[in-house]
Amino acid sequence: MLLKLGSMLAVVAAWFGLSLLLPDTVLPGPWETLKVLTENVVDGQVHEHLLATLGRVLGGLALAMAVGVPVGIVMGLNRFAEKTLDVWVMVALTVPSLCYAILAFIWIGLNETAAIVAIGLTSAPSIAINLWEGVKNIDTRLFKMARVFNASRWVVVRRVLFPQVLPYIMASLRFGLGIVWKITVLVELLGRPDGVGFQLFYWYQLADMGQVLAWTLLFTLVMLFIELVILQRLERRLFAWRPEVRL
Amino acid sequence: MSREATDNGIRVEGLIKEFPGQRVLDGLDLTVADGEFVCLLGPSGCGKSTLLNILSGLDGDYRGSVRFGGQPMAPGGKPPVTIGYLFQEPRLLPWLTAERNVDFALENSRVPRARWAAIKDRYFALTGLQAFRHYYPHQLSGGMAQRLSLVRALAIEPDVLFMDEPFSGLDELTARRLRVDLLDIWRETGKTILFITHNSYEATFLGDRVVVLSRGGIRDQITVQVPRPRDYDDAALFQVGKTVSATFIEAAEAAERDRH
Ligand SMILES: Nc1ncnc2c1ncn2[C@@H]1O[C@H](COP(=O)(O)OP(=O)(O)O)[C@@H](O)[C@H]1O
Ligand SMILES: [Mg+2]
Repeated sequence: MLLKLGSMLAVVAAWFGLSLLLPDTVLPGPWETLKVLTENVVDGQVHEHLLATLGRVLGGLALAMAVGVPVGIVMGLNRFAEKTLDVWVMVALTVPSLCYAILAFIWIGLNETAAIVAIGLTSAPSIAINLWEGVKNIDTRLFKMARVFNASRWVVVRRVLFPQVLPYIMASLRFGLGIVWKITVLVELLGRPDGVGFQLFYWYQLADMGQVLAWTLLFTLVMLFIELVILQRLERRLFAWRPEVRL
Repeated sequence: MSREATDNGIRVEGLIKEFPGQRVLDGLDLTVADGEFVCLLGPSGCGKSTLLNILSGLDGDYRGSVRFGGQPMAPGGKPPVTIGYLFQEPRLLPWLTAERNVDFALENSRVPRARWAAIKDRYFALTGLQAFRHYYPHQLSGGMAQRLSLVRALAIEPDVLFMDEPFSGLDELTARRLRVDLLDIWRETGKTILFITHNSYEATFLGDRVVVLSRGGIRDQITVQVPRPRDYDDAALFQVGKTVSATFIEAAEAAERDRH
């Protein structure tokens, strides 16, 4: 924790140092950026855009998990599914996110559904691969144990498979969040009239670096909060049974 | 515990099991009497686990007949008696406490819920694990974890206990203690036990009878007539152990020759 705090301070200090060397139009300092951000918050224009973006992040993440998790699990457990699907997952992973976004907006229209579909489908392959790798590590000997003790198929899935897969689902949730928010910003820039991505692009066109950095900072802070406070706590609760890993 | 006097013996006749490219069991005949403790001794890869998989209903792809107490088991079906199983590793669910691991087995068994508490008290006490009921498996030593899996196997009130090299992953001192405990429990419960091992002296110490397996069938059988309770340092026991060991090595070497 102290290490994290220290490294953060170092980065902010480096930012500050660089901003002294560079003109404000290229790199405003941390203090100026924070001031712009505070003004934006006071103006009341932040929460509308932030909520729009967060909504898309959540929607896209939900869709990505809904597609990626089952595909990854089936691929990890079943050799036949693995052989049939691995090429397609690779193809889906290779297609640039911009293509998904363009296709979604053309086929579905310039609306929320298209945005969420684009975000979800772009991130799903990464999540599937993440889970696929993870599920390969699960202890299949426990399935045999459960069957010897007369557990039904459903009990095996719910009480032996699911708890083993859950850590990988949580890991892919965190990992997916990182991908999803980057794609969300891109999708907003391309086809939505609001959201953080839209704002970034808007201020970029006006060449207002203070605003660009302010929105970047805002988004980073929100994502750090979700990652460090919400997800880590959830993990700690869910996996209390695990031995503590100390490095 | 009052149990109706049913016969829980096992009778296997002409058991044939093939995997692609090899016949692992080739017309195996084996009987285990009700309440008998039989040790099955055989070199690695001779089909011991394969046999237990078939007997416990995990593998229905075989030929031959399997009967429990005279009732036939349909190929692909479940055994007509309740089976308790001990694996070489404890195979506990790591996210459940010791007690919840036992509950997991109970929930899938025919034991009425009203009796669970008493059963658990009994076997946790018998294995010396009372104080560890709320521990997670990773907090238990190897010996304790294997004891816990013994509790789990006994809690479902099995008619027959299958044990597949359950002590081979433990250090010798822990394994010795567990063998003594197992014999105590066996004396108290009178279960029919089929115990698999590749350790001749373990087989001799535990079994009423040691069946030496090799090349897909039974090579030899040795009845251990040393009275119980047995002592590790008993000279008579050691003598039988030597005979068993010699037979075992002979069988293993014969199997080796066949392979080449
Ligand atoms: N699922 C399987 N598919 C193919 N061969 C198998 C399988 N399980 C076991 N075998 C083979 O059957 C033989 C007996 O295995 P096993 O019963 O596990 O031996 P052990 O006596 O050591 O328990 C070995 O040669 C093993 O390679
Ligand atoms: Mg084996």
